[in-house]
Amino acid sequence: MKRIVDHPKIVTALMALTTLSFILVAVLPSIWPELFPMLHPIHVDTDPENMLPKDEATRVFHNEMKEKMSLNDMIVLGIVNETHPEGVFNTASLEKVFELTEYAKTLRWPDPEDPNKQLGVIEVDLLAPSTVDNMEQGGLGSVTFEWLMQRPPATDAEALAIREKAQRIPFLNGTLISEDGKAVALYIPLTSKEVSHQVATALEEKIATFSGEEAYHITGLPVAEDTFGGEMFVQMAISAPIAMLVIFLLMYLFFRRVVLIISPMIVAMVSVFWTMGLLIATGNTIHIMSSMIPIFIMPIAVLDAIHILSEFFDRYEETKRRKEIILEVMQTLFKPMFFTTLTTMAGFGSLAFTPIPPVKVFGLFIAFGVGAAWFWTITFVPASIMLIPKRMLKNFGLKQEKKQTSRPSKMTSFLNAMGQMTNQHPKRVIGATVILTAIAVYGIFQIRINDNPIKWFNPSHPIRIADKVLNEHFGGTYMAYLSLEHDSGQEESNQYAERFLNDLKTHSDEQEGLLPMMAEVKDKTIREVKRLGDTAKSDLAFLDQLETFVNEKLDTDPIESAEAWEEVLLLIDLTRQKKQIFKQPEVLVYMSNLQDHLLSTGIVGKSNSLADVVKTVHRELFLGEETAYLIPDTASAVAQTLITYQNSHRPQDLWHFVTPDYQTSSIWVQLKSGDNIDMAKVVESLDQFIKTHPSDLPLKHRWFGLTYINVVWQEKMVSGMLNAFLGSFVIVLVMMIFLFRSIKWGVLSMIPLTVTIGLIYGVIGLIGKDYDMPVAVLSSLSLGLSVDYAIHFLARARILQKEHGDWQKANIHIFGEPVRAIVRNAIVVGFGFLPLLAAPLVPYQTVGFFIAAILLSAGAATILILPALITLMSSWLFSEKKISSSPRSSLKGGAS
Amino acid sequence: MKQIVLIIIILFMSRISAIAVGEPLTAEAIIEKANHTAYYQGKDGRAQVSMAITDKQGRKRQRRFTLLRRNVMQEGAVDGDQEFYVYFHRPADVNLTVFMVKKHVGRDDDRWLYLPALDLVKRIAASDERSSFVGSDFFYEDVSGRGIAEDTHTLVETTKNFYVLENRPKDPSIVEFESYKVWIHRKTFIPIKMSYLNKNKEVYRIYEALKVETIQGYPTVTKSRMKDERTGSETVITYRNVTYDIGLPEEIFTERYLRNPPKKYLR
Repeated sequence: MKRIVDHPKIVTALMALTTLSFILVAVLPSIWPELFPMLHPIHVDTDPENMLPKDEATRVFHNEMKEKMSLNDMIVLGIVNETHPEGVFNTASLEKVFELTEYAKTLRWPDPEDPNKQLGVIEVDLLAPSTVDNMEQGGLGSVTFEWLMQRPPATDAEALAIREKAQRIPFLNGTLISEDGKAVALYIPLTSKEVSHQVATALEEKIATFSGEEAYHITGLPVAEDTFGGEMFVQMAISAPIAMLVIFLLMYLFFRRVVLIISPMIVAMVSVFWTMGLLIATGNTIHIMSSMIPIFIMPIAVLDAIHILSEFFDRYEETKRRKEIILEVMQTLFKPMFFTTLTTMAGFGSLAFTPIPPVKVFGLFIAFGVGAAWFWTITFVPASIMLIPKRMLKNFGLKQEKKQTSRPSKMTSFLNAMGQMTNQHPKRVIGATVILTAIAVYGIFQIRINDNPIKWFNPSHPIRIADKVLNEHFGGTYMAYLSLEHDSGQEESNQYAERFLNDLKTHSDEQEGLLPMMAEVKDKTIREVKRLGDTAKSDLAFLDQLETFVNEKLDTDPIESAEAWEEVLLLIDLTRQKKQIFKQPEVLVYMSNLQDHLLSTGIVGKSNSLADVVKTVHRELFLGEETAYLIPDTASAVAQTLITYQNSHRPQDLWHFVTPDYQTSSIWVQLKSGDNIDMAKVVESLDQFIKTHPSDLPLKHRWFGLTYINVVWQEKMVSGMLNAFLGSFVIVLVMMIFLFRSIKWGVLSMIPLTVTIGLIYGVIGLIGKDYDMPVAVLSSLSLGLSVDYAIHFLARARILQKEHGDWQKANIHIFGEPVRAIVRNAIVVGFGFLPLLAAPLVPYQTVGFFIAAILLSAGAATILILPALITLMSSWLFSEKKISSSPRSSLKGGAS
Repeated sequence: MKQIVLIIIILFMSRISAIAVGEPLTAEAIIEKANHTAYYQGKDGRAQVSMAITDKQGRKRQRRFTLLRRNVMQEGAVDGDQEFYVYFHRPADVNLTVFMVKKHVGRDDDRWLYLPALDLVKRIAASDERSSFVGSDFFYEDVSGRGIAEDTHTLVETTKNFYVLENRPKDPSIVEFESYKVWIHRKTFIPIKMSYLNKNKEVYRIYEALKVETIQGYPTVTKSRMKDERTGSETVITYRNVTYDIGLPEEIFTERYLRNPPKKYLR
């Protein structure tokens, strides 16, 4: 410490240098990535999927299924016309819809990482009136396949005909065309989410060239995420500086001298640069959580510096020998600062035990930042005092003292009154606390766990508006998928081969009369079947290998035996098709039942499945009559319906509903709400239905889709946060017991914050605020912060008790300077978080509001509950003999 | 006025080139010959066709059918109307399904579908012929042939082996391509490669003849591939046992034969 004070310039230079290198390490690779390939550039991540680890089972399954069913992330572009009586179904509106679609098809750019690839819109999967097929009755018992809207309609009658056609097709009605017939939605699939901003911007530019009655709404998760990324930077660029300014102003209000408060501000900045620099340099991403790091570090970082400066200037006027005073102050404050830092770090660090990677990163890096702030506070702040020119120190302390004494301010008299109250009516304070706690406990049981990434935006945000408008018109814009898989269990290939052999004999006996070569072909096949039965790895592999064998024979054997070989191939195919479960009528009927049930929940607006495709085609094959809207009763009939469907312009659409081997199918479920609680209800309701309607079909079901993933990470977060909270509670308790060398004092120090957190969560439950991601994060991090007050209060209480030998007298003193310091700190930190309310995103606002509430009420709880408890139990608490042992005496002056 | 002058010049030029002996053929003449070799050889024909559709993920689907084709003789027309009969063997569950086409030059084709499991014969009307052929990457039009009068043709290059023609649709609103290029073999007049360009001038669809054999004196593509860059899917067609001039009776190509396939001609 002496060296620091002797060489303040070196300390300052060291700080500047290290900070600069942290900045460079983060900035250089971001600006010139090619020059610094070994360093990590800034990487922004706005993908809520990343709330789950990459290898988490649900997420792995989600990605597998997306690949398997060729599903992509989509932008939804809704076009609504509220003025025209027929909505968008007029020539002018549809002309624009057509033009927009043609334009959207061209939105592609070369992939910067692979020039052979292109990024952007996946043209063939784009859903728009001009890119989908209509299938309907033509004249003379024929069925027509045609583009729904090959070109913009020339007359209004044609426009209405397009609507009529689309509304007859279940896949389109409520998805492409709104059920009320007023709006159209384009579903624009993307090669990857990363281009959604580019595509959305291009679309907006195109839309800007249109005039007319139509309103355009762009939504879909990729856009939401992108927008979120933008807003995140706004938050960092606006809220963080405002927080800085608020802290500066509050400190100025308390200390009235700029020179005094500059060094804490520098410490705050340096800590932020260190932390963010390290975050980027270690390849971590700027995520919704990590973007909040600066605003968390700043208010915490200035706290210790405030203690040092207050103490220093209180004493400066006495001797004016600044070096000695600094050394004294540092010695007095070192331990309490160290402990409050440790508890704060423990609170944030406990987030590392949550199963959610962004939250882990958030917790660990704030813990690091708090540590960095502590380090520079105990080095740079004393050094900076040495660097202040002497003339600027002149009269300072005096001035300060004057201010304090000349104003027996409202705050002081209020605090005094408060002290008397706790002293005279401790039972009332405790009684009130108990009642409030009881209400809080009731409130906690009312808590509703729920989240919805769309609601992270303000209700006035275009995305929220788009979301609202489109969900009013359509079957729901929140997509979840129910996958159904054939749960057959594989058969041993040799048993399978045995059965195939029997079939082969029967089949070839039938053919031998007709095909002279059949007998010979049969013998050759039998030999191969026996060989493969022993070697093939699975039943299906057996069939595949046998098929390859026969195809080779077809090429090499004389042409006369070709027909016999074809018969074998037919048998192989027949055998294989027995396993194609999603061609079985009873399976499709079951799927329809599941869909009907989903619809009955009221949350699902619509669902689409293979069963709907089959029913629609079947209806149109049979004169378009509603009575024919059914699943035909044989697997072959289903297959022939499907091959008819594949004669369309978009045969690939089929593979979004079923895999080509007919082993896996997925039902598209459109929800009207993206609230996790609603998705969870749907999941629960379906499970219940399956339980109460058992079937012997070998099917297993599992959900995927982003709406479902949100539910999974929320569940993990709730339990993870509870563990993190309990973990940090125990750690902090142990630290307190160690600090006070007493179990009773340790437990006592935990009471105010426990009551506070209980109250806050009780209030959340009572007012019906959803327990969402930011609310969950609050618990454990506020714990580490709010215990500081108790540390300061109890430390001073014990010292004053010792000095005065009587708690009644000590109580009066503690409600002087020490309590005022606590109140100041609570105000600085509490208000320091309030600028988050100016952030454009709801989670930031939530965090800002509740952190401020927690800190202010923790401050209040500390100065009310603790003195009341001490008054009630003073004889028991102060019975300890070891009251003056060294670690505690060094806590003297823990509060400024 | 300018256009008229241009037309006169073009007419004049083509006259000259036609007159000159051994001079290069016009684009129209090339495309006519190519169309003939690709779709009209012999009076009729039969092939056993295997189709393998492989999607982007490498998942394979097979189709196996017999294709019968007959040229309809018309007064004054060289390569005119045709009839096609497609009889499915596999997948097993579409066995016996029949697809029949009466191709008309200059007007919409007539198509029929017979679905045995539904015991249903259905006429199919379509707004255009560029929809998938039974789920493959080949369009219905690729199988039956695109009317040469539907495009304008320009000879853009003559290489050692190929005439390279650029073709533009006369009515761009009913097709998904902006233009397509075709490489026609100079000796056999077989179209060896075709590449389709979209409005962004990107190639999104490529046809290639992979194997050509001379059967009964007719150069014949026996293996070909269509690749769709947009879906990443490709379809390979293999023709086995190709036979020309088998004397297919006209009556086969009627609704009656949909339910009662002419077994004799299908083998």
